[in-house]
Amino acid sequence: MRKELGQSFWGDLGDLCSAVGRAMRVTLINLFRKPVTVHYPDVKRTYPDRFRGVLALTYDKETGEENCIGCRLCEYICPPQVIKVEMLKAEKRNFAKTFTLELYACEFCELCVQVCPTDAIIMMKSFDVATRDRRELLLDKDRLHQLGLTFEPSWATGNGLRDMQTPPRAPKAEGDHAKAGGARE
Amino acid sequence: MDVEARKVIEMGYGGSERLTMNMGPQHPSAHGVFRAILTLEGETVVGVDAVIGYLHRCHEKLGESLTYTQYPSIASKTDYVAAMTSELAYVRAAELVGKVDVPKRAQYLRVIVAELQRIASHCLWLGTWCLDMGGALGGGATVFLYCIRERETVLDVFEALTGARLLYGLHQVGGVRYDVPAGWDAQVRRTIDTIDQRISEYEDMLESNAFFLARTQGVGVISRELAQEVGISGPLIRGSGVSYDVRRAEPYSSYEDFDFKVPVEPEGDCFSRYRVRMVEFRESIKIVRQALDGLPAGPISSRPGVKSVGQVRIPKGEAYARVEGARGEVGCYLIADGSAKPYRMKWRGASFSNLSVLPHIIPGHKVADVVAIMGSVDPVFGEVDR
Amino acid sequence: MPEPVYHAITAFIVLNVVIGIVTYVTLLERKFAARMQSRIGPYRVGPHGLLQPIADALKLMMKEDVIPATADRAVYNLAPIVFLIPCMLIFATMPFAPGLGVADLNIGILFFLAVSAMEIVGLFMGGWGSNNKYALLSAMRAVNQIISYDLPFIFAALVPVVLAGSLKLSDIAAAQAGLWFVFYPVIGQLAFIAFIVATLAAENRVPFDILEAESELVAGFRVEYSGMKFALIQLGEYAHMLATSFLGALLFLGAWSGPGPAWLGPVWFLIKAMFVFLLVTWVRWSFVRIRVDQILAISWKLLLPATLVLLMLTAFWVTLGGAAGA
Repeated sequence: MRKELGQSFWGDLGDLCSAVGRAMRVTLINLFRKPVTVHYPDVKRTYPDRFRGVLALTYDKETGEENCIGCRLCEYICPPQVIKVEMLKAEKRNFAKTFTLELYACEFCELCVQVCPTDAIIMMKSFDVATRDRRELLLDKDRLHQLGLTFEPSWATGNGLRDMQTPPRAPKAEGDHAKAGGARE
Repeated sequence: MDVEARKVIEMGYGGSERLTMNMGPQHPSAHGVFRAILTLEGETVVGVDAVIGYLHRCHEKLGESLTYTQYPSIASKTDYVAAMTSELAYVRAAELVGKVDVPKRAQYLRVIVAELQRIASHCLWLGTWCLDMGGALGGGATVFLYCIRERETVLDVFEALTGARLLYGLHQVGGVRYDVPAGWDAQVRRTIDTIDQRISEYEDMLESNAFFLARTQGVGVISRELAQEVGISGPLIRGSGVSYDVRRAEPYSSYEDFDFKVPVEPEGDCFSRYRVRMVEFRESIKIVRQALDGLPAGPISSRPGVKSVGQVRIPKGEAYARVEGARGEVGCYLIADGSAKPYRMKWRGASFSNLSVLPHIIPGHKVADVVAIMGSVDPVFGEVDR
Repeated sequence: MPEPVYHAITAFIVLNVVIGIVTYVTLLERKFAARMQSRIGPYRVGPHGLLQPIADALKLMMKEDVIPATADRAVYNLAPIVFLIPCMLIFATMPFAPGLGVADLNIGILFFLAVSAMEIVGLFMGGWGSNNKYALLSAMRAVNQIISYDLPFIFAALVPVVLAGSLKLSDIAAAQAGLWFVFYPVIGQLAFIAFIVATLAAENRVPFDILEAESELVAGFRVEYSGMKFALIQLGEYAHMLATSFLGALLFLGAWSGPGPAWLGPVWFLIKAMFVFLLVTWVRWSFVRIRVDQILAISWKLLLPATLVLLMLTAFWVTLGGAAGA
């Protein structure tokens, strides 16, 4: 409350004492609350499913082939332009000849994940790649694949994100109801 | 009223004992990189020269070089403390020019995150203000750590929704990018219930405190006329008696569906701005509860998910979109020319306009009041320098 | 053994023990403050942070001693020493147990109050010699503040003197064998509160720490000091804080009286001094600071008249035969 100070000696003194008591009571209560400190790195907090950690390239679950087809969509959409891809043409499908990602400049905006047509590039639920040499954060294709195998992937994949964002199609027939949005996983 | 650009008051010795002190860009309480050249007579400040530009990162040029799909992630970096509202301004500008509809569910989600962001930003404001006033080793640090503890719970909510804690990239032209995960509703309700209760604790701790009242009452008075002449907005103008809130003046994103109060305090000193923000905490909590209760089912975007960088094209036109950020009116003026990139994009930073009031209100106060006033103005230099 | 040798050895032991306690008191403050802020303090250096003060001391010893080019060399270099010596000297008159002390002077408390006020000289030398506007501003505020608060400090400390009837510290402690002075109706509690408030101000602790004001003046008069000189200043500050805590425990909380055998006396004394210290720390971590003109207003308009009146009331009470004399 707004209060005029300097009005009455005893009033002010009484207010001061009660104010002091109240403030000190709050700190005393917090003295006995459990600290919120998480003893990282011995203890890690649980990261949510959609956590945006380090980027990685994936292999196909069934065939074991690399998912990346070298289409360069991620390279074009990256706002700070940290991805550089060279395509390698082959008979049935294309691959990425080289794929470099400068993790030290990455913004972790997840746009590259969103545009990937084959869910090749994804983000992991961890960021434990701290290093003393910045050159180790210039990730090449092998390192990206290795990160994909080391950490736990987050939920977000290109197709998953695009499905979540795309409005449902209008029903073709009367009995064919479009999938409503609602709470999606 | 004739408002001069810079006020230097004459007092006492007629200038012979003046000391020029630099509260430099590196300063524990400059709230970012801000340089204030203070002219002191003894302990009293007689003149302020504000120097900004230390955080200029060419956002407006970036806005011309990046497409409508890429820039919303960058837009968070202007007001990095309240990132959701910055993104919203840009995306709304693009939607206004392109006449893009936003589905109701996306609008409600935008309201929820904007209000949660306001709560988080005000937590940071209260913490850093008390830190400046009370010392990094002292009661200020205690209130700071309590407020950061509460802010972390709100950031946990954002992390469950988007995956990021500070700079989100949630908005896109046509809606939002992420829908709510399972259990988010319960998490948000839990978070705001805790914050509601803890804010009462901190209010109690601070408001009856004679030290706090002595530091903030009567300090940094912005008169009603000065507020309207200089062009400040947000809690600063509402603390000076002018009831102006963009959410009421020009409702956007379904704000007209919600019932909330806009707090106004007549006195115009630091204490009234404090009161305005504390009431805004409670009102934001109310809005979030209403939005969660009424969250409609439906799609979260009216445009398909972004598949390529040039997917969104906005036809020719221009528009100015403004949102009520935590610091004031954040505006984005966009001129589109039919391609995938804007022709010109201009940010109206709330803190930039708010800072212009400093040379008018600081002279006459003591050095210790400069930090109290700066804290109650609550600038974020990402918005100021862009 | 000859008297001078005995005293020299005692002084040496007391000095070293005091420095040891002072370094660990910093750790105690950090852990206590951390718990009040929902976090844990130093934890990694040694088990639960117990080696943290040693790590800090080693770090400060190894740091480069940077002297500003335009600083006033002699004043700048002497300031930490001039600041430290009074803070260490006041431990000389402190009796840690009946008969255990370096020099139990007849005018013990007078010596304490007079010498402890001399730290202001070192403080001002530090602010002046640094040739830095922030340091100078802080030193000017400090002179103002510490001088204003020395008077209420002295008057609050004189209340137990009047109650005990002697200036000798061990007599004051012995006079509390029956009832501690803080429990004396009204005047005991008021004097204790006034003592705590004056201690906060004389120690430049929040809410009266306008002179260091990290958020405005970035460490005040200490801003240009680094390395070992900074360590000496920190040592002096905490030693002064500890000495006033010991004084508070002695004047108001009965020094070494407590249940148990007589050799447990110094342990009780330490515990009571830690209690006073933690009380001051608790206040420190709960409040924002107030401006220098408000600090001076509190001193001259509120605390000084209040402590004067309190002292007079105590004197009346003693004359009317209400206290235990020594």
